Amino acid sequence: MKRDKSQEPQLPVLSQAVLEQERKMLLDLGNDITRVRDKNDLLVLFSKRLKRYFYFTHTIVTLIDEKSGTYTPFLLDNESSPIRKHPMYPELIQAHFRLNEPFIQTVLQADGPISFLLEDIMEQPESPVFLKVNYEKGVREILMTKIMMEDKPMGFIHMYTDKPGSFTNEFRSVINGIIPQLSGAVSNIIKNEEIHKTEREKSFLLDFSNEIAQVRSKTDLQAAIFKVLDKTMGTKLAMIRLLDDDEVHLSMFMCDPTLFGGTKATFEKMSGTRITVEEPYTSKVLASREGLVFNVAEEIRSGNDYAKLWATTGLKNMYSFPLRVGNRNIGTIWLLANKLSKLLLKGICAQISIAIANIQANEKLLAYKKQLEDENDYLKEQIRTIYNFSEIVGNGAAMQEVYRLISLVATSGTTVLVLGETGTGKELIARAIHNASPRKDKLMVKVNCAALPANLIESELFGHERGAFTGATDRHIGKFELANQSTLFLDEIGELPLEAQAKLLRVIQERELERVGGKQTIKVDVRLITATNRQLEEAVRKGQFREDLYYRLNVFPITLPPLRDRPEDIAPLANFFVKKYARNAGRKINQIAPKAMLQLRSYSWPGNVRELEHLIERSVLLSPDGVLKDVYLSSKNVSEQQSPAHLANRSLEEVERSYIIEVLKRCSGKISGIGGAAEILQVPGNTLHSKMKKLGITKADYFTQG
Amino acid sequence: MKIVVIGGSGLIGSKVVAKLSQAGHEVISASPATGINTITGEGLDEALANTDVVVDLANSPSFEDKAVMEFFQTAGRNLLAAEIRAGVKHHLALSIVGVDLMQESGYMRAKKVQEDLIKQSGVPHTIMRSTQFFEFIGGIANQATEGNIVHISDLQFQPIAAEDVATFVTEAALSAPVNGIQEIAGPGRFTMPELITRYLEAATDPRKVEANQNLQYYGAKISYAALVPAGQAKLGAINFDNWLSSQLAKA
Ligand SMILES: NC(=O)c1ccc[n+]([C@@H]2O[C@H](COP(=O)([O-])OP(=O)(O)OC[C@H]3O[C@@H](n4cnc5c(N)ncnc54)[C@H](OP(=O)(O)O)[C@@H]3O)[C@@H](O)[C@H]2O)c1
Repeated sequence: MKRDKSQEPQLPVLSQAVLEQERKMLLDLGNDITRVRDKNDLLVLFSKRLKRYFYFTHTIVTLIDEKSGTYTPFLLDNESSPIRKHPMYPELIQAHFRLNEPFIQTVLQADGPISFLLEDIMEQPESPVFLKVNYEKGVREILMTKIMMEDKPMGFIHMYTDKPGSFTNEFRSVINGIIPQLSGAVSNIIKNEEIHKTEREKSFLLDFSNEIAQVRSKTDLQAAIFKVLDKTMGTKLAMIRLLDDDEVHLSMFMCDPTLFGGTKATFEKMSGTRITVEEPYTSKVLASREGLVFNVAEEIRSGNDYAKLWATTGLKNMYSFPLRVGNRNIGTIWLLANKLSKLLLKGICAQISIAIANIQANEKLLAYKKQLEDENDYLKEQIRTIYNFSEIVGNGAAMQEVYRLISLVATSGTTVLVLGETGTGKELIARAIHNASPRKDKLMVKVNCAALPANLIESELFGHERGAFTGATDRHIGKFELANQSTLFLDEIGELPLEAQAKLLRVIQERELERVGGKQTIKVDVRLITATNRQLEEAVRKGQFREDLYYRLNVFPITLPPLRDRPEDIAPLANFFVKKYARNAGRKINQIAPKAMLQLRSYSWPGNVRELEHLIERSVLLSPDGVLKDVYLSSKNVSEQQSPAHLANRSLEEVERSYIIEVLKRCSGKISGIGGAAEILQVPGNTLHSKMKKLGITKADYFTQG
Repeated sequence: MKIVVIGGSGLIGSKVVAKLSQAGHEVISASPATGINTITGEGLDEALANTDVVVDLANSPSFEDKAVMEFFQTAGRNLLAAEIRAGVKHHLALSIVGVDLMQESGYMRAKKVQEDLIKQSGVPHTIMRSTQFFEFIGGIANQATEGNIVHISDLQFQPIAAEDVATFVTEAALSAPVNGIQEIAGPGRFTMPELITRYLEAATDPRKVEANQNLQYYGAKISYAALVPAGQAKLGAINFDNWLSSQLAKA
């Protein structure tokens, strides 16, 4: 059946009422169309309404994709499509048809709707295949109309009919009239879809960021990355490379080894080599603000060796992004995909960067801990030989009580407060407790609270984040964190500044801490042993030490007796130290002369065991081999000692003198008046003045430090 | 040529018989009255002997759903079987524009069955689909009348004069079969309420037309444009005004 082309189709005369009806229909349809927000409603509405007035079989809307120079189905009028059952249908509705061919170019150049008889165009070599498919299902004619947006074609309405001649002039003029509204509706739908997509991507990113916040190890991270990329339109991770500490080299951090199946060996060779930031691709990526896209085919043509590998995946593009934390480059990520959303990728890469930075910090911390532990294995060995529980020397009754308490408390996790004058061996006791506890395989961590300025003690104990304060150029792991699952020994706890006391109290109560300048809370499991030579109760009364903290620390007090209270232990201790220092110094001394021993026993030992130890050490060095005959007790030492120890064996005058000096010191040199020394001593100011003169007390005596 | 016109006594049939005879052909006007009945088969074989062309312009005496279906089915089968036996070279039937779009209507379903039987018979054929005849307008008004009101839906409408139909049918009967569909319609397109109003006014009929949006035609729901041709159609020469004045002249 050939159409007689010479014969123009006859057109009926339209009555006023018909014209009016069509105008109204156009208006209604236009109004309805502009209200459509859902993609699926639009074409159905359009097609149904139009079919009341005009005959056609079905219609579809295709959209132009300028980048790829194609157009692709966007809206389908599925219900009435006669080609729905065609075996090629599923493929067709996903296909991209070239813009660069005569059929669609004719449509683009036409002023308005333009119709074609399928049999005239479908056999043309470059014609899109859907023409033929429609013809096979009985369609005979197609009316193509451009959809315009801001004077640019954005797509086409295709209308099909099995009755040639259906697309009358009126039909065309109605379609032409409806185009602006239809274009508006289509672009609304596109915008709507974009908004939805952005929202979906945002919530997707949120999920990912929650997931990645849990990540602590590389394995976790790898799992999280693979999962997110898999959900992201079939994207594959080719590789993550990280900048080494030298800031010059990059090493492989992570890859998907399944990716380049056939060419595994090549991949391993290529990825195993350490590259530098000068490597052309890497330097380009690191210099870029938001990453680069490499088209695989183009890269192969330009002789990029990597690209041949990329091509084995069948994916079209290699996306590479700089991994950054703040402004610092930490590495590069390489992803293979056909198409990726920029927003999504940016978000994912930012999250990955942070996770990697965290893992690196964590790895460094672990390495640091390990190193410390290794170093200290040696020290521990030493400590064990020097300060062994069994080697705390002294078997007198007072020390027996100490040993009993140690064995009572050691195996529990109870907080212990070791009290005792300076030099009584408080640290030794702390170690003894630690070594007898289940935590003994980890190093006991020690902090002397008096040894650091107040402003640094907090960071020393709890750590700080990079930039937490001026001079905090790096993250610092606090001693509390280091002592996790071990024992923390805080010596001279009485010297801890009030602010740090508050923080310490919180850590004890909550068993977690925050680094200075950090937001993350870190759980810690630390056994606490504190020690002081101060009267803590006194300090509490004076408001220098928090009462609540005191009770937390004073759970299990162990008081070490001063050496003068256990004279029976002086001889064994002295002998012990003689042996130790003689061995260290390579001397053959194995005895102390009875006279020297007598001297040692009559001394008051304000510096306690430490003083004895130092004295013996000194004496060993000054003594010839054989018997230690002389001990060099310094009397100056004695008089300056500000410990109750020197009250022994002293005259009343001496006691009076030193007590007045002590009180004066406490009162910052104020003699009379409110808060003056006279008030405390309960004597009139004048009496105190004359007494000071008589005892020769000068400013130099009470304005000395200490 | 020997041409048998089934329903030759009807509105279109009588005109076609006249035109063909005038053109010098041997025409048999077939109807129950002339002893040729497509329902009983009576006289068919005799009439069809040596016949070149059969033009089927018969219509069912009853428009009731079941009856009309039975009529076109039985008539179609009997007639086509006889044509095959007689070796008829061209079967031409008159159908209706939009018949396939109005399948809610029993009459349209029957006409569709008639078309399908023809297509399936293998007899070379021409199916001529026509819009409504001007002569049919009064009938449309009558079936839609309630009291003094004629309820007419806002449908597009492009009726044709019976005279023009007869001309097109005659032409086609003398041409080669197209083995497909040919559409014919009137020269002007109207809305149905518009045209029926004009018709009633011209006839000084006191009834009033009330237009509605119900898309009703003989009780069936159809689309606005179902009654008008969609593709190429041949248009008649006689417009509504001319037809009307000729009718009034006759009256
Ligand atoms: N009305 C419309 O607007 C319209 C539009 C498009 C197409 N059509 C179609 O056009 C055709 C002709 O319509 P019309 O208005 O001219 O019809 P009509 O005036 O009613 O004539 C019907 C004819 O059929 C004959 N007939 C009835 N039963 C028969 C039988 N059993 N065997 C043989 N002939 C029989 C009648 O014969 P008697 O005279 O002896 O009864 C009469 O000649 C119909 O098929 C109709 O569907 C009508």
